Amino acid sequence: MSVAPVEEISTDLLTDRPWITLVWNDPINLMTYVTYVFQSYFGYDKPKAEKLMLDVHERGRAVVSSGTREEMERDVAGMHSYGLWATLQKDD
Amino acid sequence: MFKRSLTGRIILKLETAEKVVLGQLFDQMDELLDTEIEPLSEDPLARLINLDGPTEISSDPAVARLFPNGYSSDDHASADFRRYTEQDLRQEKLDALTSSRATLEREEMKSALTADQAQAWLRSLNDLRLVLGTRLGVGEDFDEDSDDPGYHLYSYLTYLQGTLIDCLT
Repeated sequence: MSVAPVEEISTDLLTDRPWITLVWNDPINLMTYVTYVFQSYFGYDKPKAEKLMLDVHERGRAVVSSGTREEMERDVAGMHSYGLWATLQKDD
Repeated sequence: MFKRSLTGRIILKLETAEKVVLGQLFDQMDELLDTEIEPLSEDPLARLINLDGPTEISSDPAVARLFPNGYSSDDHASADFRRYTEQDLRQEKLDALTSSRATLEREEMKSALTADQAQAWLRSLNDLRLVLGTRLGVGEDFDEDSDDPGYHLYSYLTYLQGTLIDCLT
């Protein structure tokens, strides 16, 4: 399976929006679980969710959503509620 | 284990020994989560909107893993984020445990779960794995053949959660 660089995904997702949600790799959460969370929380289709999961796993982190600061705080809280390690930041 | 019935419902099937172990783990998780937070203010409105929520990440690595910082390099924003979110997240985890425990304590060996109950189990099992995994120091180079009883428990929880994820995907 080919994996696009994180930059490519963030450019695609960001479209001028200043805040991003990052999910960080951790050794405990199962890969199937992380994929499931991306599908059920964000409504991403399976290929997109798997690609993001692999980015997290292989590159240490991935941008999983972008939007306003409030939206990203909501997404980070949502990720924490599933036990994923997520943070938000301004997209520099 | 979890499996799909012919009619599509998620069925939880547990041996008595599994129920005992899971019940003990739920008790310990309850204890870990159910800490009283001292209100800083007497103002009921402030309490209502979580103005008095905690602002510091836990010094216990397992608890810190359940309630991580919201910002990686902004302590002030992380403190604010925590103040507004941690208590709700804690309550959510306790509610999932309560729901999972209710189905665990059914007398039957097999019981059908609603969608909400399956979600509660998914969260509870993941939280247990996060805490136990952190305590065991599970990492990329963790020895999978370890004889540590904690590791056997961790492997069991991984297996159990895996069967549930299979049902949901």
